[in-house]
Amino acid sequence: MKHVSKLLALLLAFTVVAAACSSDEDSSSSSAPAETEAPAETEAPAEEEAPAEEEAPAEEEPAEEEPAEIIYDYGVDEDTIRVGAIADLSGPFAPLVVQIIAAQTAYWDRVNANGGIAGKQIDFWVEDNAYDVPTHLERYEEMSADDGVVFLSQSTGSPHTAAIAEALVEDGLGAIPLSWYSGWPDPEFGENVFESYTNYCYESINAVDYLANNVVEGDAKLAVLSYPGEYGQDGAAGAKIAAEALGIEVVYDGEAAVIPGADQTPVITGLVESGANLVWVTTAPSLLAELMGGAAATGFEAVWSGNSPTYNYMLLATALAPILDSSFYQSTYNLTWNAGDVPGMTDMVATLQEAIPDDPVSDAYTIGWTEAMAAHQILEAAAASGDLTRAGVIAAANATTVDYMGLAPNQGYGGEINDYIVRESYIFDIQADLFDAAATISGGGSTGSVLMNGGPYVSDVTAAHVYEGACFVAE
Amino acid sequence: MTAIPVLLAASSVDTFIQTLFKALALGSLYSILALGFVLIFKATQTVNFSHGALALAGTWFLSMIFMDWDIPGRWLPGPNWLHWGIALLLAMLVTAVFGLIIERLTIRPMIGEPVFSMAVITLGLEVMIRVIADDAVMLTPRTLGIPWGSDTFKIGGASVAWSYIAAVVMAAFVFFVIWRFLRTRTGVAMQATAFDQEAALAQGINVGMVFAIAWAAGSALAAAAGIFASMSPWAAAGVASREGAFFAFRALPAVIVGGLDSVPGALAGGMLIGFVEIFAGQYLSGQAGILGYGYQQVIPYVVMLIALLIKPYGLFGTEEVRRV
Repeated sequence: MKHVSKLLALLLAFTVVAAACSSDEDSSSSSAPAETEAPAETEAPAEEEAPAEEEAPAEEEPAEEEPAEIIYDYGVDEDTIRVGAIADLSGPFAPLVVQIIAAQTAYWDRVNANGGIAGKQIDFWVEDNAYDVPTHLERYEEMSADDGVVFLSQSTGSPHTAAIAEALVEDGLGAIPLSWYSGWPDPEFGENVFESYTNYCYESINAVDYLANNVVEGDAKLAVLSYPGEYGQDGAAGAKIAAEALGIEVVYDGEAAVIPGADQTPVITGLVESGANLVWVTTAPSLLAELMGGAAATGFEAVWSGNSPTYNYMLLATALAPILDSSFYQSTYNLTWNAGDVPGMTDMVATLQEAIPDDPVSDAYTIGWTEAMAAHQILEAAAASGDLTRAGVIAAANATTVDYMGLAPNQGYGGEINDYIVRESYIFDIQADLFDAAATISGGGSTGSVLMNGGPYVSDVTAAHVYEGACFVAE
Repeated sequence: MTAIPVLLAASSVDTFIQTLFKALALGSLYSILALGFVLIFKATQTVNFSHGALALAGTWFLSMIFMDWDIPGRWLPGPNWLHWGIALLLAMLVTAVFGLIIERLTIRPMIGEPVFSMAVITLGLEVMIRVIADDAVMLTPRTLGIPWGSDTFKIGGASVAWSYIAAVVMAAFVFFVIWRFLRTRTGVAMQATAFDQEAALAQGINVGMVFAIAWAAGSALAAAAGIFASMSPWAAAGVASREGAFFAFRALPAVIVGGLDSVPGALAGGMLIGFVEIFAGQYLSGQAGILGYGYQQVIPYVVMLIALLIKPYGLFGTEEVRRV
């Protein structure tokens, strides 16, 4: 019995440590969900009144005078503007999304410290969808209710956002998807989905073109490996559009061939035997590790890249680091952590160093920060026009060009799609020695991604592409 | 018929050697997992559906012990591989203790109750352990500090990962230990309990202790399988991630084919399924368009069905065994 008691004590110690870690995480995200308040009273729109003429206040400056009259309906009251985020805080993308939400929270805290928007404080309300579509729909029901939010600054997941696209139109509510499916700009898919940055398809075209012409030695021979579904096959479609336009031979077509949870031997074998020297992957980081590791174990060498979020800088803390350093090029829609000398980066890094100095460095912060920037600028425009109703926010979004201060290409929404759709993306070289897995935000640091081409890149193929809908549509 | 020329065309000595080592390694992992299932089934007549979650917990215990707390490196001089090996054994030990507690709190009170109820309890445990383990590590994938990383060596022109060799050595080690254990007094008691619980009780065997030992050993084996399955070039390249919890379910056909209550069956079933999966994946990859993507997932179950049609209790299973 003595022995058993010792063993029990050891396990109890583990439980205490686990609980401590768990409570840390809880506290980091506890600021997100807000208590549900009584629905705001609807003021009758005073149509005859001219909207306030003030310009939206500069981001760093305290809010200027409140417009003489701002009308509002749901998610806004005298003192607050409620902004929502439906996030994957416990599902497969939770490690990424928790950091995205942390950056958003820090952004809104700063907005509030600077006086809010039109004198109203931002009430940032976060709910977990666990990357589950039915749960996402339940969370959406809460947030679209009369006592819900005026705008969704994040809707996590492609199928999840697709599931609420029609409801968004019916409820007159706008949302920024945490997904880069090329269908979002298509009005038939959902007029109230306001995508951030370029899409999987254009990202693939840009990167395949850049790598084939600047990194691969000799003629490129392309292999395409992807998940089935909108994410994987939208990215694969873009890679094949690039190959066709540029005369690149596709020596292995593994579109939809990477099945999560299965042994990847068939895909690795097909890849290795194809003789490809350029590999484009659209999966999750764990599958990238299995594919790269499995191929490298046979002696296979090629230039590798893939859609975001196929790669995760945390892979540099694994045995794969030397292979990633020598063979992988990261493709993204925006700048990675502390990469690129632009005002937005300086601003974000400084703010997060103050807000969450002990958190690890991460590429995910830029996504959360820029999502909040987009929502902020849209709401500022709505407030400046005197209309913070959901309809007013939608109208403001369609008239806004979001300035990301260099963190990503500026994003417009209104007018002809081909005039405003974002086509640029970024390419980074991976330098494992720059990454320190233990680095925290307070030290600045790097995730090991070094910007190539000096800034965003757009392929001639992407530039000339006439957008007529998603590159991939499930049948 | 088109598969045959493709198979021949793809065949080369180097490719065959690489495929052989890969199959041996996957077969070893499946065998270790199957052995854990078998030990618990032999003692309790229950299929432990929480085996994958225990494997995941084991990987995180190793990450905490070796990477976070630098145990035993903070006290013991010596090379990194030695420290890692000791940390591996400690992680298996902690997971065994974890298994003991689970058995004492949730399984022991169910002695005498329907076996189906116990199996459902283990299903619930699977979800609980996985979710709690996720929270405990703040959802962050954790590295395991594998000493050989993604290093490979050459046999002729064939490139072979050291992780494959490590998996085979680990399987040989655990099967040897279990084989020796089953010949000890306690091991014989376990086999007697598996054969007839009431008769074992009448003979003065402490059945509760047998249950506890089986759960502890099964949990330690789950940890070993989880850790070795997390190595490069396997799923997560030396990262303990939540996907690891689901790997154990891939070994179920191996358990059934070998026989739920047979230690040699665990070895044979694991190797058979591992070889079939890897060789089919390698040599039928050109037929994926016809067979369908993901065909390699189906083949182990096809083998299992065929084996069960021929031997309903598995290749080495005892016919009196009740299935769950």
